[in-house]
Amino acid sequence: MSAAAAVAAVPALDLLAGGAQAAPATPGVTVPEILRAGPLAVTAPARSQVLHLLSRATYGQTPADIRSVTALGTRGWLERQLKPSSIPDPVGASIGRLYPEAGWSVAQVYQQVKAGHIDRFSWDVMIPLSEYTIAMATWSSRQLNEVMVEFWSNHLNVANPSDGVWDSRQSYDRNVIRANALGKFSTMLAASASHPAMLNYLNQADSTKDAPNENYGRELLELHTVGIGAHYTEAEVLSSARIMTGFTLQWDESKPRYGEYVYDPSIHWTGRVKVLGFTHPNTSADGRAVVNAYLTYLSHHPATAHRIAYKLAVHFVSDNPPPALVNHLAAVYLKYDTAIVPVLRYLFTSKEFLASRGQKVRRPYEDMVATLRTLSYGLLPNTRPLAARRSGPEALYWMSDQLQHAPLAWAQPDGYPDVAGAWTAAGGLLARWNMHLGLAAGWWPNSTQIYKPNAHAFLPKVTPTLTYLGLVNALATRLTGAALPASHTAAVLTFLGKRPTDRVRTDDQWVTWDVERMLALVLDTPNHQLR
Amino acid sequence: MPTTTPRGCAECDRQTDEMGRRRLISRRSFLRTSVGATAAAMVGLSSTALTTRMAFAATPAYDGDVLVVLSMRGGFDGMSAVVPLGDPAYAAARPTIAVPQSQALPTGDPFWGLHPDLAPLKPWWDAGTFGAIHAVGAPDPTRSHFAATAEMERAAPGSSLRTGWLDRTLGLRSSAGVFQGVALGDSLAPLSLAGPYDELAFGRIDDFELSGVWGDTPAQLKAEGDRWAKALRTLHAGIPSLTGSADAVLGAVSTTRSLKADGYTASNGAVYPHTVVDGPYANSGLSAALMDVARLIKAQVGLQVVCLDYDDWDMHADLGSITNGRFHDRISEWAVCIEAFLTDLGPTGVDNLSMVTLSEFGRRVEENGDRGVDHGHGNVMMTFGGGVVGGQVHGDWPGLAADKLDDGDLAGTTDYRDVLAEALTHRCRQPVADLTRVFPNRGTFGSVGAFRQKA
Repeated sequence: MSAAAAVAAVPALDLLAGGAQAAPATPGVTVPEILRAGPLAVTAPARSQVLHLLSRATYGQTPADIRSVTALGTRGWLERQLKPSSIPDPVGASIGRLYPEAGWSVAQVYQQVKAGHIDRFSWDVMIPLSEYTIAMATWSSRQLNEVMVEFWSNHLNVANPSDGVWDSRQSYDRNVIRANALGKFSTMLAASASHPAMLNYLNQADSTKDAPNENYGRELLELHTVGIGAHYTEAEVLSSARIMTGFTLQWDESKPRYGEYVYDPSIHWTGRVKVLGFTHPNTSADGRAVVNAYLTYLSHHPATAHRIAYKLAVHFVSDNPPPALVNHLAAVYLKYDTAIVPVLRYLFTSKEFLASRGQKVRRPYEDMVATLRTLSYGLLPNTRPLAARRSGPEALYWMSDQLQHAPLAWAQPDGYPDVAGAWTAAGGLLARWNMHLGLAAGWWPNSTQIYKPNAHAFLPKVTPTLTYLGLVNALATRLTGAALPASHTAAVLTFLGKRPTDRVRTDDQWVTWDVERMLALVLDTPNHQLR
Repeated sequence: MPTTTPRGCAECDRQTDEMGRRRLISRRSFLRTSVGATAAAMVGLSSTALTTRMAFAATPAYDGDVLVVLSMRGGFDGMSAVVPLGDPAYAAARPTIAVPQSQALPTGDPFWGLHPDLAPLKPWWDAGTFGAIHAVGAPDPTRSHFAATAEMERAAPGSSLRTGWLDRTLGLRSSAGVFQGVALGDSLAPLSLAGPYDELAFGRIDDFELSGVWGDTPAQLKAEGDRWAKALRTLHAGIPSLTGSADAVLGAVSTTRSLKADGYTASNGAVYPHTVVDGPYANSGLSAALMDVARLIKAQVGLQVVCLDYDDWDMHADLGSITNGRFHDRISEWAVCIEAFLTDLGPTGVDNLSMVTLSEFGRRVEENGDRGVDHGHGNVMMTFGGGVVGGQVHGDWPGLAADKLDDGDLAGTTDYRDVLAEALTHRCRQPVADLTRVFPNRGTFGSVGAFRQKA
């Protein structure tokens, strides 16, 4: 079934819209399990369901998350995450204060340059933005929002750091991605098209009627919307670029809005344009109305719906998502005017989602953040100097770089790959294992940079009856949410040189001076590496 | 274009030196830091039979050259290295930074001279194992580090491919073990290796180790390594997409552990400058990386393609004179590192080596007001190896007269892909038929004459 065909088949579920508009359900359509129960029904969810939802809708479970989902029910917890403003986030607010540059406008960046606080063309804003990103992913309580920020940052990628966006990338993060992460894709797309970061990154700012630069016009089709499978022609790529001419930057430093988007009718190409089913006479030098119509057309195109649905399903369900689910998600996307929340609501309550436990491999960055979360890392308290508090996320940034997965940093316009097969380089796996041990041991960042509980805090109380099987089970449950499968428990016990029934003595290596390597090995298990 | 103020990389210094990188700069490696925490406890293991390292090397045996791609990131000023002395516009355009005719090393062709800091490499030039191709260009006209690097390493203009040319090259070969394609040194794997082929990227042989392998004696370290490997193999059998990687990396770590235990002494009296404590070029990343390449070549671990970086060429200011300035500092280090590497490999090693330099663009002909040069276009590629047609400068020199320039810059008359294609087909056993997949949309490849056909 094509995405277009699926539109008719999807129920007008008021639940998907968040209760805004009630409409009769269409007969013969499978309503996702949890939607049947209604939005407020709280039944104690099975622990496996709790862990499954947390493994996908957050950067990794913490004991507090498990309690929260258990208390609210999966549906109640999900509804809160879909409305992030309903979740108190004092830590997120504190991270915002720690990284004020993440909230700067382009104009504010130039004020800072003028004041001598940062260097022109430097990385002084770009790198802190990435540190802010890591801190928010790790500690914001609005976890699903952070996961979606990462998703869209890759879908509409503007590499950070990269040439030309030193003054604007943080504004792109705040005003394009974060502002719309759980809003409407059509709004986000339009915001990206006129943002200086995108205008620079894909050379739209250089494109004129006389010398159209096709980079943005092409990626708009290939990556941001319909995808290469839509079979547009090269002539249509040129049309796409011509439609966009006029979208440029204020290059003149003596004028207001220096470095920001301006519309320049003198470089807009006029004449009839055609891209797929979109046609326009495009007779006016002011082409903004044409652009609006064109972007609206693209964001509502069935191929765009299908592409975004597919990518969401790849991210949240499986590297090979069930086609029926993708078609339904695409239909929901179109039915709700490109709004993301109804699509996610459908996705997280679908039977395909519920059946997909453990089908995703954590990518290196996801693994790092999940490791930080389960090891209860935290920012230093705000009584400590600002530089010390920032040095923790800074170290984490370089750690993610070492893992070849620094947030926002994918150089090409297509964003980081989201399937396990793209992350199998052998050196990367070694770096990941060493990351587990480094974080379990707290070597770097160290206690002057970041808060980390002592490794012994993760151990159960050593009583005379505690066996090594009990120890490994308790540790796995604390760190990964569940005991390991028997063969993995056996592998860990072999590593420890213990039999399951051996008693843990208070002076044993594994509960005294060598706790960290045991923790690391548990983090090396599929329990932690899969989600 | 209504540009009145330069944006992006302008009079950039440290910030943008590195912009051409796939992601970021220096490995302030937590990996290395964490390993360092325990490294002091490590002592050498006794030598392990070389044959055990070869267990994973695949058939059929590769007998092409080891291809070393040395990226001179930041925009290398090719005219300061291989100097067009015979072009009158050269000295005129660079009143304070030109290499003086009287100081340039002779090349055998009075039109060309070599920077005096290349003196350590002069014997190779004279022997014909060091050569150059000048006025090399890329089809993409951009002067952006980032865009130029991405396009050069993708090497597929006009296509939607997101892979790199070396990834495509390796993907067309029979799999030959984890060391087949390696990115070595202080940087991350380049975009030329982006794609489905799984290269091995690491900093140093001696640091490529599980940080949980602790011990005071060789026997303990080996036992520890085996204990970790056994556990990790079992655990990753449960993650199908990572099972093969786990096997590969544990095999590779076992190899590097034994290489480290064996220690390393360079051959033929070669001195890698990083071994000079506190001296010039102490801790040179390039030197260390080249020494590791030599180790891997000699250990016959199946090395076919290596990527190295040597950056910091973005000399908008203080490119300087032949004895004082950033170019002198950088090129003199480069030359002694290459000299050590070639000396260490010896004649047989050099015979089976093809090394090429690449940079995302050359630099402006005319010097600016800061004794530097801004971003340009055409550039030099330097080549090393037994199969190089060396001791001469290949390519058509377009001239530096104003009407010959490409937007103020040296024009490109030889497509860099033609040089790489020649290295692949003449030295690395790559079938000619592969070239359209390695370099799509090149059309007809030009014959450069920079490499001899390998026997």
